[in-house]
Amino acid sequence: MLGFKLDVPKREEITLRPIYLDVQATAPMDPRVLDAMLPYYTDQYGNPHSRTHAYGWEAEAAVEKARKHVADLIGAEDKDMIFTSGATESNNMIIKGVARFHKEKKNHIITTQTEHKCVLDSCRKLQEEGFEVTYLPVKQNGLVDLAELAQAIRPTTSLVSIMAVNNETGVIQPLKEIGELVKQHRGVYFHSDCAQAVGKIPIDVNEAKLDFVSISGHKIYGPKGVGAAYVRRRPRVRLEPILSGGGQERGLRSGTLPAPLIVGLGEACRLAQREMAADHSRVSALSQRLIDGITSRVTHIVRNGDPAGYPGCVNLSFSYVEGESLLMALKDVALSSGSACTSASLEPSYVLRALGAAEDMAHSSLRFGIGRFTTEAEIDFVIDRIVGVVTKLRDMSPLWEMVQEGIDLETIDWSQH
Amino acid sequence: MSAPTRAQILNLYTATLRTARTFSSYNFRNYFVRRTKESFRKNSDESDPAKVLELYQDGLKELEVLRRAAVVNRLYEGPKLVVEKERLGRAAGLGGGGAGMEASIGGGGQPTGSQNVA
Repeated sequence: MLGFKLDVPKREEITLRPIYLDVQATAPMDPRVLDAMLPYYTDQYGNPHSRTHAYGWEAEAAVEKARKHVADLIGAEDKDMIFTSGATESNNMIIKGVARFHKEKKNHIITTQTEHKCVLDSCRKLQEEGFEVTYLPVKQNGLVDLAELAQAIRPTTSLVSIMAVNNETGVIQPLKEIGELVKQHRGVYFHSDCAQAVGKIPIDVNEAKLDFVSISGHKIYGPKGVGAAYVRRRPRVRLEPILSGGGQERGLRSGTLPAPLIVGLGEACRLAQREMAADHSRVSALSQRLIDGITSRVTHIVRNGDPAGYPGCVNLSFSYVEGESLLMALKDVALSSGSACTSASLEPSYVLRALGAAEDMAHSSLRFGIGRFTTEAEIDFVIDRIVGVVTKLRDMSPLWEMVQEGIDLETIDWSQH
Repeated sequence: MSAPTRAQILNLYTATLRTARTFSSYNFRNYFVRRTKESFRKNSDESDPAKVLELYQDGLKELEVLRRAAVVNRLYEGPKLVVEKERLGRAAGLGGGGAGMEASIGGGGQPTGSQNVA
């Protein structure tokens, strides 16, 4: 025949990607950040700790420039910043480090029930080591009760750790008031996990009287696998390092610094500072559009958490709909029912339970994460899908039918078989 | 360097806008187009020549960044998003649609592997 085989490529079935509305789990990296990083992945590969040649110097200069950008974003000094592998490491390093350093005199730590898993787990680990931990409850809107915090502080308290923006509900804790309160007690340090807050709302370590802050790179459109910890130098706060080694980063975090990742984190912080106001107003508008769009067409929806929280995190519970079936039906939208670390299990979110949500409402929650790159068209598409799916699932639900008939579900005495 | 002329600024604006449109990712393309328009409009009533020069030089640097970023973005182009379906459908002559099409195109679904931390 022709002497060769004609390979006609089969027309591939078009697969379309779902819309990404999960920026609390991770955010897409800004293309400008990647552009800043690429030189350090290609030509400028030096070790920033090499002191004897130009490769090291140029990498060190880049790392120090990034350090300044990160510090500027939270009103700190360059030398206060320690680079880590992410907010989880920062949290571990700070909570365990402070507690262990002061263990001779102090054995008590205060945190809240709605903290991120890595804070709670670090505290649990310390409990095993003999420390006492107070897990403060939160009010129904997710905020910490300052009077309860004041009562919880003891002479043996070494650290108060309260997050800035909650990763599931977007609730913003009053860091300034908490800082004020904590500083009335000498020798009590104040730490805040600001992974979800930095670059999105203004954070100032001096205004909030913070001694420690945890920062994550990939939540602010930076690279994954890098973060930072703010450790105050004046007045000096001390902690026991977890990693031992070459003594990099003031001896608190040994190990070679990943220069490209740090350059990316620095660039992400620089952009965040420049774009914060524009991003915030944009995200607020989209968030309002989403809430109005859904609530105007579907009833029996509860917004979880303080409505004055960060607008980019909208947590809604849909009554009489099961959360997992909702997620399964919404295949065109990448959402999660809460934090990504717990969404694999079918357990209801502990954060929503701490807010006093009933079990069924905690089960039927969806978290909408709106970010810098979300568009109006995406929001409108999501509204349409949510409204369609919720209506369809409710039409199938016998509970919904009973509610429509005016039966109060609380009064039903379900028979046990 | 003295303050840029009106024509130079307009040139920078059209070049930036044109570059922004070359991103292959829907979200990045939309963001940079919108942001270019917004930031040039916001700074259009700036009258201080020193400030104008500074903004102009920043803009030139930004244009270079966007040019490179857009190239990289196109090199690793991924599948289109569901919101782009209408446009995609028209381009590929797939118009019409209906329920059947909806089902066949849905594809993707929820990402299966749960992302690590939130």
